[in-house]
Amino acid sequence: MAGQEREVAFKKETISKLLTLFFKDEKSKISNDTASLMAEMLRIFVIEATRRAVKQAENEDCVGVDLEHVEKILPQLLLDF
Amino acid sequence: MDEQEAYTQRLKAAVHYTVSKICQSTAAECEKEMSRQAVAAIAETTFRQCEIFAKDLEAFARHAKRHTINVDDVKLLARRSTALSSHIQQKSEELAVNNQELKEKRKKNAAKRKSKEMEGNEADEAGDTEN
Repeated sequence: MAGQEREVAFKKETISKLLTLFFKDEKSKISNDTASLMAEMLRIFVIEATRRAVKQAENEDCVGVDLEHVEKILPQLLLDF
Repeated sequence: MDEQEAYTQRLKAAVHYTVSKICQSTAAECEKEMSRQAVAAIAETTFRQCEIFAKDLEAFARHAKRHTINVDDVKLLARRSTALSSHIQQKSEELAVNNQELKEKRKKNAAKRKSKEMEGNEADEAGDTEN
């Protein structure tokens, strides 16, 4: 399971295109290493969001994780990143 | 402008795809099911968060009077949480080690190729004289 989890990650190319899309200055560039590091950072972000939502659902004794649980964990999540 | 929007949509779809994969595997570990709306919300959040990250990174690089964003800028981005910052630090070190190894391999391969080429050339020359 842990091995499988490792494999799921963002593609370097996607991340570098995504970041370049948001840059205001066209001269800004991003190196290859930075893209893989940002991919890891976003992976952590998604895992953290999921874990917190799952925990919220557990606290409420719900079977599945729904939109309301994500809504509840969202403010603190955004403050932590 | 329309093309730009289509491009953004495509990137968003790519993010959504990976986010849903990560969500499913993480939720499966915790033995819970994620609803589609929950996954979509996390994907949208990730996309928006990416915009904040990008702008921060750009500002950090600009502050250092650079145009290329560095690994150091990412470390600065992750400074607010100790655990995250040490994880990113460790990852960046791993990346650096990997790069070093790759470089050395490439050097070795290049050297091998050169010596092979030399041999090949010598063989060719030998063949030429025989003909």
